[in-house]
Amino acid sequence: MARIPRHRRLVLPLLCLLFQGATSLLFAIFVRYNHETDAALWHWGNHSNVDNEFYFRYPSFQDVHVMVFVGFGFLMVFLQRYGFSSVGFTFLVATFTLQWATLLQGFLHSFHGGHIHIGVESLINADFCAGAVLISFGAVLGKTGPAQLLLMALLEAVLFSVNEFILLSLLGVRDAGGSMTIHTFGAYFGLFLSRVLYRSQLEKSRHRQTSVYNSDLFAMIGTIFLWVFWPSFNSAPTALGDGQHRTVVNTYYSLTASTLSTFALSALVSGDGRLDMVHIQNAALAGGVVVGTASEMMLTPFGALAAGFLAGTVSTLGYKFFTPILESRFKLQDTCGVHNLHGMPGLLGAILGVLVAALATHEAYGDGLQTVFPLIAKGQRSATSQAMYQLFGMFVTLVFASVGGSLGGLLLKLPFLDSPPDSQCFEDQVYWEVPGEQEAETQRPLRTEEPDTQA
Amino acid sequence: MGSKYPRSLRCCLPLWAFGLQVTFILLFYFLIGQDPIQADHKFMAIYQVIQDLTLVAALGFGFLSSSFRRHGWSSVAFSFFMLALGVQGTILLDYFLNWVLDWNMIKNPFSPFLSIQRATISTLPLLISAGAVLGKVNLVQLAVMVLVEAMTFGAIRVADKKVFRIEDHIIMMYGHVFGAYFGLTVAWWLSKSLPRRRHENAQTEKVQMTTSSSLFAMLGTLFLWIFWPSINSALLEGTKKKNAVFNTYYALAVSTVTATSMSALSHPKGKINMVHIHNAVLAGGVAVGAPSCLISSPWIAMVLGLTAGLISIWGAKCPQVCLSDLLLNPSGIHYTFGLPGLLGALTYYCLHIIAESRPSNLWIVTQTITDVGALSFAMAMGMVTGLLTGCLLSVKVWRAPHAVKYFDDQAFWEFPHLAVEF
Repeated sequence: MARIPRHRRLVLPLLCLLFQGATSLLFAIFVRYNHETDAALWHWGNHSNVDNEFYFRYPSFQDVHVMVFVGFGFLMVFLQRYGFSSVGFTFLVATFTLQWATLLQGFLHSFHGGHIHIGVESLINADFCAGAVLISFGAVLGKTGPAQLLLMALLEAVLFSVNEFILLSLLGVRDAGGSMTIHTFGAYFGLFLSRVLYRSQLEKSRHRQTSVYNSDLFAMIGTIFLWVFWPSFNSAPTALGDGQHRTVVNTYYSLTASTLSTFALSALVSGDGRLDMVHIQNAALAGGVVVGTASEMMLTPFGALAAGFLAGTVSTLGYKFFTPILESRFKLQDTCGVHNLHGMPGLLGAILGVLVAALATHEAYGDGLQTVFPLIAKGQRSATSQAMYQLFGMFVTLVFASVGGSLGGLLLKLPFLDSPPDSQCFEDQVYWEVPGEQEAETQRPLRTEEPDTQA
Repeated sequence: MGSKYPRSLRCCLPLWAFGLQVTFILLFYFLIGQDPIQADHKFMAIYQVIQDLTLVAALGFGFLSSSFRRHGWSSVAFSFFMLALGVQGTILLDYFLNWVLDWNMIKNPFSPFLSIQRATISTLPLLISAGAVLGKVNLVQLAVMVLVEAMTFGAIRVADKKVFRIEDHIIMMYGHVFGAYFGLTVAWWLSKSLPRRRHENAQTEKVQMTTSSSLFAMLGTLFLWIFWPSINSALLEGTKKKNAVFNTYYALAVSTVTATSMSALSHPKGKINMVHIHNAVLAGGVAVGAPSCLISSPWIAMVLGLTAGLISIWGAKCPQVCLSDLLLNPSGIHYTFGLPGLLGALTYYCLHIIAESRPSNLWIVTQTITDVGALSFAMAMGMVTGLLTGCLLSVKVWRAPHAVKYFDDQAFWEFPHLAVEF
């Protein structure tokens, strides 16, 4: 223990206790149950329990929650010696962000009478914020310590909440599945953060920045959970009824198309026609990102398939060709390739939303226009101006993400924050007690009979 | 064979996958418009069933077949691919068949949700068949097999509904039997075209398991076990749905206990074999699938689970005794999906007869022809089209992997970390 810096023992416990104490205090002062959660308020007036919002939203909340903890967590375990940190730090960062985001979003959206009123929708929105933070975590995976990640989450949640408030409440932008607010914001915040934290000597850890056979299989668990539950992610905040129904259908088709295009491109771009597991783990999910904005709109099944196909193509090509360029020319080390999975498909999704919004007509939507584009239905905007606001929303998100990510990077460079040295990146042993190395033993073929166990 | 290097799929696979996907996109554009979707009160219920089915298909079947030390990647990812391809293909096929056979689309407007639900269930036979051939075919061959099998199963469903007047639920349960024998026939044909000695040598080393690959396979088993009640009740409603869920739980629980204890019994020193556990614990769910909605007493479901578990363990031991080529297949789908499925069909027939009060002889004969005929038709179609598909997949144009490359991920995947460890 003599080699370990003395202050490392103190920084993480102090930060955790400080943050938990502060959020607890703020919860005590401000947070209350809303009218569907509070016992007295709910039973005042003649309600049937079946009408409680819980039954409409809780299934979606469960699915989004599984995506945050299992999907994102396991998606990042592909590194050969970083599995503990990937899953463990996801757990840490997500749990802190959920509390912090409840407060931030509460102040901005449901603060009245001096209190923040929470219900199941608060849980869903907090999970969205955690999703954005985890996307950014992917860009700096392996190169940051837990204390740095907590501070990153602290800052990013604030900017996420403000950006979300500006887009959804002030600009009236429609972005149910978060192509802009979650994926684009999370990706570019993380990328600019990673740019500021660039390590010119990262070559010393290059040999650990690879996967092994079993870590890729574990990562596939995350991929499949995300793939299966993504329709819930996109539909969780949409209007009940046809809006939610349509969102699920569009997301489903888009994911199937992006999967096929990913397999096709992966074989095509390799030298000898073999598949790359990194492509299948990530690019197959691009279909869910690209329809985030437009999935509640009248996209059509054909539109969903075409969008997913394009997203899978762009994402796979990005993993193959663009990630090396990012590192060699822009000095940007993107461990998980979040630019390819969340960044570019998120931008494509925003543009798709602009296109579909511009085509909105009363004939196509009927009375449904009120729920999908309320400002158009009221006559305050034309379809064209709604499209312009959608485009403007994308630019606002990019500005918030890039400036915020850069500031976050400077914050994380504070010297008292512990971070792994260049030669110890992508390594669990820096922060975890790792059981004795037994990998060789478990990899051996099982023998019919172990000699030392014969009766 | 000329060369032993893995045959490159660089031209073949992208061409096929791109071609299929573009074709599907165009067909969706022309055939399936965006009809106004009515607010559906069953939204949550149907959607959760779709999720359960997708989890079963992608995670359950994918990891279930990942038990070989060098083939885990292909098992998981290829199942993923087949699911994505199969669902799109089946939706188009359903639309086409409805359009051809029911000239009353006004009465049956296209419902994306119900269509997705049926399509996802229809991919389960494809994944069952894949269990028999994974490791011996490349992704292009799998894509071809998916298309042929999806079309065949679509035809079977139409015939069962129109000619034999079987319910959708029963048709889908017969899909397990169809998928099992389709896959076994394809695998049998593929192994027929190889010299025996080389074939056996190719398998001995790569079909070994490590502790970690066994655990991954167990992950698939657990998910299938957890969600199987959703599969068996997916197309049912009301009391029938409840019966199906409860009976499936009973059958699965009993088959698990039976399989574990019989596995220990079959070992000279009383040890449990993980290979037995992977498959046999699921046999109860398969067996109870068809009759699940008719069973009114738990003991019947439990007896079915017990019998299915026994059949599975016997089947797992059998390959060490029998020398038949048909049983060279290590996946054990014959004893997990084939025979338990037949047991379930037989039970359905018996309960169907018993349920009728004072049946006339004519009715019994008619029902026998209907039930046995539908099942026989599914099996026969599985074997015949499996044989044809086996012939089709043997054509050189698909660049099939060489026998020495069977069950080997390196034939299909880049291994940048090979130098580190594997």
